[in-house]
Amino acid sequence: MTAVAAPRAPTTDLYVVLDDHDRIVSVSPRLRDDLGHWLGHVLWDHVPAAKEICGPCFDEARASGQPVETVVLYSGRVRRLTAIPAADGLAVHGERLAELDVTSLGTLMQSLARIEAVLADRASAQPDSPARASLRALP
Amino acid sequence: MAVTVEPHAPFVVLDTGDTIVEVGPGAESQFRPLLGSVLWDCFPGSRPVFKPYYDEARRTRKPVEFVQFHNGNVARVRANPRADDRLELYWEVVSRLDTLTLDGLAQTLDEALELLDRWTESGDRDELRKSLRVIEGGA
Repeated sequence: MTAVAAPRAPTTDLYVVLDDHDRIVSVSPRLRDDLGHWLGHVLWDHVPAAKEICGPCFDEARASGQPVETVVLYSGRVRRLTAIPAADGLAVHGERLAELDVTSLGTLMQSLARIEAVLADRASAQPDSPARASLRALP
Repeated sequence: MAVTVEPHAPFVVLDTGDTIVEVGPGAESQFRPLLGSVLWDCFPGSRPVFKPYYDEARRTRKPVEFVQFHNGNVARVRANPRADDRLELYWEVVSRLDTLTLDGLAQTLDEALELLDRWTESGDRDELRKSLRVIEGGA
């Protein structure tokens, strides 16, 4: 499914900036401890499975020149991603929305219910486009 | 359906207070550093899903075999009470959840639930399948 143009600028301070080849050229201060050592690396070299799922969102943002938002699942976490194109690169903001808890079948069921609720919230917030919530992989 | 865990050396041995007092060669890397610790302190959330079976083995003084989901794994477990009141645990992981992507999660969760369906009875698993279907539908 396709990502959609973001209706508003993200407020997260968790972001990376990619060049045209998806090389990480900047990391926000709050992500520096976790991702600072990826500076200069191509994002997909670290998270190859995410390329197929996040790549189209990034491509769409670059092609349209508009922010594009999607919801993705990767490595047990559900995040909202917003890709914001600019002259000096593509800023990719991430916001954690929910997390799978595989401790037991009970916690797994509860966490899947939370993910359902996140997707339902998104769908109800954007009634003109039922396919706006895209659960995909992210870095 | 009967559960059979191959009789290798015990994975770990617990005393009557569930303290880890012996570690088998098949569990050295994970459990050797935990020798002397209470099992439940090392694995938060595991007590309610395992302890009832261990208590049953101690109470009946007979081996108890079961299949359980924990920390993303489906494992066949055998709890074997010894004459010295210690409890031998034999463990075999038969399925692991892949939470990297939604596709992987869907496939491996289905496999895990099939295994659990085969060996045990529970109404929860239909709810899990329903939740996953809803999430897949939102993707």
